[in-house]
Amino acid sequence: MIEVKYFGAVAEKTKCEFETLSFSEQCSLQKLLQDLNEKYEFESLTFSVAVNQKIVSKTSDYTLQTSDIVALLPPFAGG
Amino acid sequence: MSSLTRYNRQIILPEIGEEGQEKLSRSKVLVIGAGGLGAAILPYLASAGVGEIGIVDHDVIEISNLQRQVIYKTEAIGKSKAKEAKAMIAELNPLVKVKAISEKLSGRNAISLFEKYDIIVDATDNIAIKYLINDACLVTHKPMVYGSIFRFQGQVSVFNYKNGPTYRCLYPEENLNAANCEEAGVLGVSVGIIGMLQANEVLKMILGIGAILSGKILVYNTLNNEQQKYDFEKNDFQSITREAFEEKYNKCEVEEVSFESVLNEMDNDEVLFLDVRNVDESPKISLKNQIQIPLMHLESKLEKLDKKQTIYIFCQSGIRSKIAFELLQKHRFKNIKSIAGGALAMRNLLEEKKDSHEFTNFIF
Repeated sequence: MIEVKYFGAVAEKTKCEFETLSFSEQCSLQKLLQDLNEKYEFESLTFSVAVNQKIVSKTSDYTLQTSDIVALLPPFAGG
Repeated sequence: MSSLTRYNRQIILPEIGEEGQEKLSRSKVLVIGAGGLGAAILPYLASAGVGEIGIVDHDVIEISNLQRQVIYKTEAIGKSKAKEAKAMIAELNPLVKVKAISEKLSGRNAISLFEKYDIIVDATDNIAIKYLINDACLVTHKPMVYGSIFRFQGQVSVFNYKNGPTYRCLYPEENLNAANCEEAGVLGVSVGIIGMLQANEVLKMILGIGAILSGKILVYNTLNNEQQKYDFEKNDFQSITREAFEEKYNKCEVEEVSFESVLNEMDNDEVLFLDVRNVDESPKISLKNQIQIPLMHLESKLEKLDKKQTIYIFCQSGIRSKIAFELLQKHRFKNIKSIAGGALAMRNLLEEKKDSHEFTNFIF
């Protein structure tokens, strides 16, 4: 299982602030992001991605590990 | 001595002392935006004794601002935010030198402004200006204290601190669509909390105490009081030169005019028609005040042009003249325009006019 956290406008789209996903072996971060994008249609939303509290490149070939926590962090603009 | 009494409760902190207070009084902080975040940041920087504070905001106070921009009084509606914020600080702590800058921050004023301060605080409410602040901080080597809000969540970070990671390292894609408070809604306390965290980072940096949020973004949720810190690293490509900054932010659109609209200026000696085609190109156009310098030689023959004149640039169809426009602009020519459609459009118009005998003073 991995946990995915959503923030800001991304959480508006997913309608939840976190969810736990079961994952098949050898699931890459890129594949996860692709699946989430299909599920929630993030479209023009931009966000950075963190794995275990560290921002990583969305195109990195990282393979997800059991109990990883992924976070989707969009920029905020209010002030 | 009165200042020692004024600041006594912080001077008695072992981490601060009289030495720390001296650092505060010597520091210069520029706060960009005197809205919700600024309204939280400004009074705390002023009351702590920051020596010099600059406030940049071109807006006026509106009634819908007051639920979160708590430094403004109801009677100040319609007045300049920067000036009202300055007046507030003057009453709060007259020892602070304050400058109200009621201008919009832009590529034209950012660098000269930033150079006068030690720390730049981003208390703005739109993404485009955050990239501008970030880039100007890179050029001037200043730290940027970032804060922003989305409904009940806020983000805080310090960029470019001692050459550390920048806003572009965190958000490389310049997407300008994120919603601001007007669109998304916000509770006053949320901006207050985030502004206060920003002010805290400013004071820590000046005093040299604690750990700065450099290479870390703090995300705060006011509904469940959860806060998370995420680490991020500096991207290799994130340096920006002054030239690249000017190029990005101060480049004007090419100004085009139709030949017809400038026909009546043909005999004006203040005006020059600049043909940037090669000499063997036709149709030949010869107007009274005309010069031909092929585009490829233009940069080396700029001395032939007078910056005081209005210069109408043309080529065959209006493409090269745009390149010439940018080149002249780079060399600080101000009164320049590119003729749409180039010589082809000019010839057609001149022939029309010739048939109707309106103009006779040109030769093909």
